[in-house]
Amino acid sequence: MTASDFMTTATPARRNAERKPWLDWMVVPTLVVLAVVVGYPIVYTLLLSTQDYNLLDFTPANFVGLDNYQTLFNDSIFWTSLRNTAVYSFGSVGISAFVGLALALLCENIGGRHSRLVRSLLLMPWAVPFVVVAFLFRYMYLQNGGIINAVLLWAGIIGEPVPWLNSASLAMPAVMVANIWAMTPFFFLLLSAALSGIPNEVIEAARVDRARTWSMIFFIKLPFLRNPLLISSLLMLIANFNDFAKIWAMTQGGPGYSTSTLVIYVYRLAFESFEFGYASAIGVIWLLLLLVFAVTYLRALRMG
Amino acid sequence: MALSRTNWLALIGAVSSVAMLAGGAVGQDKITLTFANWASAEGTTRPGIEKVIVDFEAANPDIDIVSESISFSEIARQLVLRARSGNPPDVAQISGNDTILLASTGTLEPLDGYISDTLKANIKPGALSTLTVDGKLIAFPWNQSPAGLWYNKKIMETAGLDPNNPPQTIDELTVALEAIHASQPDVIPLGIDTTNRAFALTSNWPWMQTFGAIPVGADANDADSPEMKAYLTWLRDLAQKGLIDPGRKIGEFRPLAAQGNVAFHWDQVLLQGVMQGANGMSDEDFYNTWGVTTLPVGSEGKPHSFEGGHQLIMFGSSAQKEAAWSFIEYLATNAAAINDYTVSVNSSLPSIVSTGDAAVDAKLDTPIFNAFSTEIIPTLSAQPYGPDFAAASTAIMAGVQEAITGTQPIDEIAANIQQQLDK
Repeated sequence: MTASDFMTTATPARRNAERKPWLDWMVVPTLVVLAVVVGYPIVYTLLLSTQDYNLLDFTPANFVGLDNYQTLFNDSIFWTSLRNTAVYSFGSVGISAFVGLALALLCENIGGRHSRLVRSLLLMPWAVPFVVVAFLFRYMYLQNGGIINAVLLWAGIIGEPVPWLNSASLAMPAVMVANIWAMTPFFFLLLSAALSGIPNEVIEAARVDRARTWSMIFFIKLPFLRNPLLISSLLMLIANFNDFAKIWAMTQGGPGYSTSTLVIYVYRLAFESFEFGYASAIGVIWLLLLLVFAVTYLRALRMG
Repeated sequence: MALSRTNWLALIGAVSSVAMLAGGAVGQDKITLTFANWASAEGTTRPGIEKVIVDFEAANPDIDIVSESISFSEIARQLVLRARSGNPPDVAQISGNDTILLASTGTLEPLDGYISDTLKANIKPGALSTLTVDGKLIAFPWNQSPAGLWYNKKIMETAGLDPNNPPQTIDELTVALEAIHASQPDVIPLGIDTTNRAFALTSNWPWMQTFGAIPVGADANDADSPEMKAYLTWLRDLAQKGLIDPGRKIGEFRPLAAQGNVAFHWDQVLLQGVMQGANGMSDEDFYNTWGVTTLPVGSEGKPHSFEGGHQLIMFGSSAQKEAAWSFIEYLATNAAAINDYTVSVNSSLPSIVSTGDAAVDAKLDTPIFNAFSTEIIPTLSAQPYGPDFAAASTAIMAGVQEAITGTQPIDEIAANIQQQLDK
């Protein structure tokens, strides 16, 4: 093979590289699809948020500028819903990640035929549809006839049935427990996979250095798990920010507004009061918050 | 004469074309009506409504009914969205605030012009007045389903109460609830809907009126009023003593009532059918076990109730208005339809005085139907239905829930409700 052969094989590659504009045209269909399915709803929501638009009123909507945003900043229910969204999302993700991590570390060394059974059992909640999870817990939490109260009464832990979902102070933790139960297997699965990816040489070197269990976890395993934990947590934060089914099926945002999150509030405004203009303004704020998470997620991916 | 292959093909083509044209002409003569309803979405009422539709189609061979099943809680939302996007059904089943809500869109066909004088004379007094908006009849009353205070005589007897004298005042009711809770802790003393939805406000409204509270509407005395605070305080007291079971929808009490686990239940006339459907109780046993009376009176001095009956609406965009009206009239006034659906499976009262069928009229002569017709219907009170009612229901029922389940002072809760209503 002569040097000219190398030249002939290298030339087409360079020529392809020069055809970048042509490759850009190939992206146009994707851009068109994205513009229709993502761009149009966003732009339309932005427009709606500047209008006094009620679906029951068939007269043309009035342009009100930033009035809806001004109303929003003085709306105590919006702030309550925003706070509830933060508590629900960060609380559920934080606890699920912690429990998932603990379970992944505990199950790491389980071997043999029990390993599959234990892992299957731990993953089962992830396979249950969220609406089913919500109804399952709703009936378990019932003040009269719920199994949780029945067991606690039988064990003598409580003297009378607890109104889990009907107490303004207990409803949010109760809904979060259901959410954590459903979400923990995701973290367990992901972190188990990450744990198995830690190079054996690193573990063996630590053992040679007589690292104890806790040292091994804190100084060897956790640094390896940092990126998967961060990325999965950000993904789950976005998912929980949008979680409607579980909360709606269990409490519909009540009692009062104690479990009302942004998605519940937007739903009530848009589909019960038909206030699309105001609901869109909240939607825009909600979108901005999600964008912050999305940008953080992308940066974390790049860093990872 | 033998035909060539080309001629055969031409003949087949000609015959097919004629057949297709003839078929098309027949198809054009057949009218198709779309009927959005929740009757066909619920197991207990589906067989009844399907039979009525089949009977109507048999009596009107030129009309086809396409039944669209939509759940009760979704139907208003879907009808508004469909009206907005220009493809509403021809006819729809609707109820309560949703009827007036849809009327506010201006998409409903006024029905005044379709009702004959004979039919008008046969409609129960007052049945049309609440469905008249700006002088136009925007819906036809399919049936009447007012709410009454149901009481379980056996539970009352066990608690040492007189089963033939249900409580007539709020104070008497509170005493009775306490006696029941003390003697039978597993029984829910009072079933009342405290969920956060427009129907829950409709259901709670007569109770609020009993305390003199009118939180919203033209005659409102505001939510931040002594009357509303008295109602919220009473509810909190009941909840703290375990006399109500908060957070349940009205329908979630029904199976418990059928099992004999609810002493008093604020529910519509249809409860009898639901309970007997669930527990298979005979009519005789049912009347020995259950009675129904008016809502106890409070400071205001007179009982109140709400009309939970269902209405039928026609959309103005319907291309077949006469056929749509025939269907509406058939559902609400035909003796067979009343027998097979209104009375048998929906356990509600027809909106007409006489069905014209002695056997069907005789079916309505029961202790429960009579109690509703003679005692409860006269206590019906109009509610300030409309687009604002749905928005107000979220604020008011959230306040009711906070009063029942939280520890926030009642004064603050009432002030918060008012603040939301003022927005």
